[in-house]
Amino acid sequence: MNGTAPASFETWLTARPDDRTGAGLDWLEARRRSALDQVREHGVPSAKQEAWRYTSLKRLLEQGFAQVDDTVTALRLDDIEELLIPELDSHRVVMVNGRYTPSLSALGDLPHGVRVTGLRALLANDPDALRERINGVAGERQPLFAALNTAGLDDGLVVLLDRGAVLERPIELIHLSVGMDEPRVAQPRHLVAIEAGAQATLVERYVSLGASLYCTNSVLELSLGRDAVLKHDRIQEESPNAFHITGLYLSQEENSRYQGTNIGLGGAWARTDLFTRFQGEHAECDLLGLYLAGDRQLTDYHIDVHHAVPSCTSRETFKGILYGKGRAVFDGRVVVAKNAQKTDAAMSNKNLMLSENAEIDTKPQLEINADDVKCSHGTTVGQIQPEMLFYLRSRGLSAPIARRMLCMGFAGEVIDALHADALRERVSEQVGQRLESAPLT
Amino acid sequence: MLSVKGLRANVGENEILKGLDLEVGPGEVHAIMGPNGSGKSTLAHVLSGREGYEVTAGSVTFEGQDLLALEPEERAQRGLFLAFQYPVELPGVNNTYFLKAALNSVRKSRGEDELDAVSFLRLIKEKLKILHLDDSLLKRSVNAGFSGGEKKRNEIFQMALLEPKLAILDETDSGLDIDALRVVADGVNALRSPERSMIVVTHYQRLLDYIEPDHVHVLAKGRIIRSGGKELALELEEKGYGWVVEEERAA
Repeated sequence: MNGTAPASFETWLTARPDDRTGAGLDWLEARRRSALDQVREHGVPSAKQEAWRYTSLKRLLEQGFAQVDDTVTALRLDDIEELLIPELDSHRVVMVNGRYTPSLSALGDLPHGVRVTGLRALLANDPDALRERINGVAGERQPLFAALNTAGLDDGLVVLLDRGAVLERPIELIHLSVGMDEPRVAQPRHLVAIEAGAQATLVERYVSLGASLYCTNSVLELSLGRDAVLKHDRIQEESPNAFHITGLYLSQEENSRYQGTNIGLGGAWARTDLFTRFQGEHAECDLLGLYLAGDRQLTDYHIDVHHAVPSCTSRETFKGILYGKGRAVFDGRVVVAKNAQKTDAAMSNKNLMLSENAEIDTKPQLEINADDVKCSHGTTVGQIQPEMLFYLRSRGLSAPIARRMLCMGFAGEVIDALHADALRERVSEQVGQRLESAPLT
Repeated sequence: MLSVKGLRANVGENEILKGLDLEVGPGEVHAIMGPNGSGKSTLAHVLSGREGYEVTAGSVTFEGQDLLALEPEERAQRGLFLAFQYPVELPGVNNTYFLKAALNSVRKSRGEDELDAVSFLRLIKEKLKILHLDDSLLKRSVNAGFSGGEKKRNEIFQMALLEPKLAILDETDSGLDIDALRVVADGVNALRSPERSMIVVTHYQRLLDYIEPDHVHVLAKGRIIRSGGKELALELEEKGYGWVVEEERAA
């Protein structure tokens, strides 16, 4: 635009003070250094790279974000009341601008064998508990934004469930962004390890106070042991001016079950990368997604599911509603390794276009190297069917209400997969509000 | 109540209705019969405001108001109801939610209060019984995965709920076996009242054994070529449409 854009994202790391989290831990410093080297190697990916073919990084780069790790302490519970979901009976963890904030959190009683804490605190008290966890799922070689997160590692949510532990209530992470004087990037690193036979529900919510400009670059490393079960609801409601990046790394042992429901509503620019690695047979991974994009909004999902072992099941069900000049990208890839016989994989991406000016680039891919598998993929891009609209109008419903009802019907499959009524209501309300103000051309 | 005068309507380049006249008074049940392609469904669609039809001449007034100037939802709010020949499946749209929104929209336009959840459920259960419908239907998506009979019963159920002044039943008998037909007809008959008029569009006389009309009209090539009492339907059944079409040509 003006030629002053920095040449790399390295500047995101410049404002970190020397007393950063976990300073003095050699193994951690080594990983940070390695990550920084990778950030330098990556530079700024160009549109020639497949992963960034449809999504430009220019706008993101131009903001000149810096990682500031000042703790925001002035907030009180009253200030965030509108963001809470009182009906959701949860163990609540609130992070403000990437920092765990105990004064707003309400962990309550945790059952035996369950540890829920901040990454920063745990690095100070019991760093050995994290040595195998940090990069444990994401690996040492990381894509640009994960490497940035590792290089700037500061705080995040840590959930550790011992073998057989069962959490009845969900853990709810509220990641709150508050505008600062300068454009700021928060890089939370969340680590969730569900050991053999353990069961938990995790809700992640990304919210903001006001319409401020900021960036969230989060990385989650999730590992499920044998027979472990994790239900994971993620709701992204960032500010309309925000940039949001998520890298989710999931590793599943034998017979484990994961269900992740990704709701992407907010942000001006949002990119989500989901990686699933099956480590043991008969594991199931169910990924669902709903995204909305309107004027000045780009939302981009990359899904990479790797069936490295036999007899695992994966489902990827993503739905998008685009309106105004909204843009979305869906790039889904399922790879079935040569020995991964009896793989059952089905990927689908359906898009509802409410305007002619909206745009979707969708690319589901299957790469199958085994011969005894059940795999499918499908994409649809369509408009609201006139006969459906007429049916509703003939029953006395106005065209805008009828249109909204059909959109909610389209989105329902994904919203229904959320684990609690309170979340379904919250998301339905949010989707409804966005559609209400959506331009129809 | 309804007055159709000289109505002409096109679909694309083709003129389907070619000067149709019809008068329906309060509480009357009119059957419109005719061979395939005569314009029966076009009439039902034009009256309910479906897109894709161009009215080129004539007028339709409903309770003194120009019906053709109204949006489909305004027609519904003023008491017009179309029972679809092919009810549309709306995957993901919850039936209860839909019914409540429709009922409250219609009630609001009648100047009535919106129903609260309890009164709504009470009302809905009462109406379900009339149509022999199971209340599991309320949890399902509108028409999605319904059998043909369920779809048609759901149409009449909606009619019972919305209590229209004028109901147009478009080939409601098509695709129904005799038992389902009887249930649907009983539902319709239960809704007959001195204030509620009906237009029953059908190809076969069969439905009229169960829903007895006050007037029968024969529609052919876009016009009503013959009107009479219920005995006309029986005559048609016996002699076929060829008879009346031929007679019209000779005249």
